[in-house]
Amino acid sequence: MSSKQSSGDSTVTPDDILNSYLDDLLGGEDPLGAALGEMESRITLAATAGSARVVPLPTKKAIEKPAEKLPVVKSASSHARSEVPPPPPKTSTKPRSLVQSKSTFAEPEIVQTQEQKLKLEKLLQSARTQLLVETPVATPTQVETKTSYIDNPNEIQEWVIETTEVTIAPEIVPVADILPTENVQPKHFQLDGLEWLENGRPQWAQSRFDVLLFQVSGLTLAVPLISLGQIQPLTDELTPLFGQADWFMGLQPTPAGKIRTVNTAKFVMPERYDESFVETAKYVVSINGVPWGLAVDSVNQPITLQPDDVKWRGDRSKRPWLAGTVKDHMCALLDIPRIGQMLIDADKNFIPV
Amino acid sequence: MATDLAKNKSTDDPVLQWVTFRLDGETYGINVMQVQEVLRYSEIAPVPGAPSYVLGIINLRGNVVTVIDTRHRFNLSSGEITDNTRIVIIETDRHVIGILVDSVAEVVYLRQSEIEMAPNVGNEESAKFIQGVCHKNNELLILIDLNKLLTSEEWSELEDV
Repeated sequence: MSSKQSSGDSTVTPDDILNSYLDDLLGGEDPLGAALGEMESRITLAATAGSARVVPLPTKKAIEKPAEKLPVVKSASSHARSEVPPPPPKTSTKPRSLVQSKSTFAEPEIVQTQEQKLKLEKLLQSARTQLLVETPVATPTQVETKTSYIDNPNEIQEWVIETTEVTIAPEIVPVADILPTENVQPKHFQLDGLEWLENGRPQWAQSRFDVLLFQVSGLTLAVPLISLGQIQPLTDELTPLFGQADWFMGLQPTPAGKIRTVNTAKFVMPERYDESFVETAKYVVSINGVPWGLAVDSVNQPITLQPDDVKWRGDRSKRPWLAGTVKDHMCALLDIPRIGQMLIDADKNFIPV
Repeated sequence: MATDLAKNKSTDDPVLQWVTFRLDGETYGINVMQVQEVLRYSEIAPVPGAPSYVLGIINLRGNVVTVIDTRHRFNLSSGEITDNTRIVIIETDRHVIGILVDSVAEVVYLRQSEIEMAPNVGNEESAKFIQGVCHKNNELLILIDLNKLLTSEEWSELEDV
């Protein structure tokens, strides 16, 4: 108000207001003009790429858009509507000049010079440029898709279902990942003493060890005593089960439980198996730690062996149950822990205790 | 108090009744609730084109009942028909069939805790018929799961017999 009085003008024309606004907006350096070239080049690039469209925009809105970005101006505008607006000072800020021009003169009749028109045209071009740069947010593809589905409500419903499935699918995947794998895959039971050390001998033969000799269809077999459980006689209660492997003789009830008896002759030398073994087998030697036992014809006295007494097998891929041979006693030394592991691996119903 | 303890024990460890029969020298048991009746051996009419495990059909009071060759089903050697041979009429989920056995022994009472799981080694499909084993009266009972005696496809085959 004071600046208006000090200038000496009693009336303010729309030209003065617009000139004041343009002077404040453009300034001496004309930064919009400098940026215009860059904007035009970006528009050209976007238009050639097909991602931008030339949209006719109302000039008035283009002018109002910079004012909307300044909240201070809006509050000033509402204040100006209720009270008598002060005349715009020459040194006022850009927003204030714009608000005053809009509130005081709703429909100004603008008279411009040629230079002012050019500047104004540049200003409008810059405003269009800003709008065109912001336009690619809504892509033409999305607009066309929505338009095509509006005509058919059924298709809209199907489209909604599909998008729902797409959004749910990623949520299902983590749920599956959360499931503990330990519950899905049963834990593999492993007996002790299976490992062979670097010296080519099993754990139970690192020093002097005792073995039990027994006969199976004329063959002498030796088993380490440390891996044996008990020796029980085979009785008439030995019960075969149908549907089992041919080397399974049956279940032998004993005071210590039912021993799953292996037809040892069939197990170790199936190519030379003699059917009479079923009649000649007298005992079952149970394996320590598993409910399995080996049927044998007879049991001899235990003997003590040094590790060097045994010719240990290097490659056990073919008959992993054979640990080696004992030349002095002309017998085969069985790897009882390995046999026990093979038996429980073969049993589909085995449940580790 | 003692009654409650007995009741809890009975619910935790129920007593089941099993009909035992002999087959190839072994004793087998089937759930008594699935046994309808036990018949003396009667003539079994063979059915052309029937599966190998089907002996034929019998007329049971006007109803046609298919009789299964149990020995064949259990991969046992075939046996002779004797005076002790019986046809046990059993009822599974949806079907009524007869199984031919060497003889029927008795009904035994077994606690659930007395039944042990049998091993399953080998690749024979018939091993899955064994529900468990139990040592009773100085002999080992092999308990049969009749619902697994035939597959769903085989049950469908029986309907066509």
